[in-house]
Amino acid sequence: MAEPIVRKRTYWIVYVVLLALTLLTVLLGYLHMGEFNMVVAIAIATIQASLIAGFFMHALYEAPLVRVVTVGGVIWFLIMMTLTLTDYHTRGWLPFPGK
Amino acid sequence: MPDMVSNLSGGGHLPSRVRDHFRTAEQQRESEMLGMWIFLATEVMFFGALFVAFTVYRTGYPQAFGAGSADMNIVLGSINTAILITSSLTMALAVHASEVGNQRWLQVLLVLTMLLGCVFLAIKGVEYYQHYLDHKMPAVWFEYSGADGSKVQMFFVFYFFMTGLHALHMLVGIGVLLVILGRSLAGSFSAEYHTPVAVAALYWSFVDIIWVFLFAIFYLQGLHVMR
Repeated sequence: MAEPIVRKRTYWIVYVVLLALTLLTVLLGYLHMGEFNMVVAIAIATIQASLIAGFFMHALYEAPLVRVVTVGGVIWFLIMMTLTLTDYHTRGWLPFPGK
Repeated sequence: MPDMVSNLSGGGHLPSRVRDHFRTAEQQRESEMLGMWIFLATEVMFFGALFVAFTVYRTGYPQAFGAGSADMNIVLGSINTAILITSSLTMALAVHASEVGNQRWLQVLLVLTMLLGCVFLAIKGVEYYQHYLDHKMPAVWFEYSGADGSKVQMFFVFYFFMTGLHALHMLVGIGVLLVILGRSLAGSFSAEYHTPVAVAALYWSFVDIIWVFLFAIFYLQGLHVMR
């Protein structure tokens, strides 16, 4: 195991990109985009999270099983989010008493 | 988190670090890393439930949550985000140092990572104190002049609960790194055996990822409201 998994240079490049994205997301926050403010902020945060997981946490370099666990965790979270929001935002659609 | 503790203290003694139930050192390393990843997947669910609850309320009361977010200190929040990202870099470089067997650099970078974590917590404390002075602390002292007071208070309930839970994870992370530092000083690691460093780094970077999302949902939403 003499060779490091990721080169130092790669870490530094990812670091600079992460800081640039932080600056970008703060600047974009000042624009009036309505609901898209949240969409843009979450999108940039997702890119940052992917970079941290992929390079700093070596997810891109690990065994396939690790990637299955990583993606699996995200998918189960999205299921929880989707089903819950589907429930809450469709409750007023039908005029049932005691809904 | 029992599996993490056993990962950190596991590994056996010289000359062979490979436990009986593993064929090779590489298989042992992969199993230990996988254990941490599975633990982190459960953490995604743990924080995920809170993110889902926040989203339900945020989509229900967008105006009130925007008003609550406008009270966030964007300067301190941005600095804290940069600090945590930097700490993730120093942690990744610490793993690099452990992989090439450079114990001195590993120790320096671990201390640096912990210091950055402490600075983050200190700034968070300043922010909490400011919210207290602004009377924006639910259940302790909450005042809001406009309408929607209870809804804005709900924003702050989420804010304190989620950032508080995150701060708790930071404290655990600092404790984990202290153990790793102690083991490095005791000479437990080498270029051949350094898995606990990588396992601890996974946890530290994960806590950083959580913060990136907390920053997005709490700090960034009120920026355009302020003007």
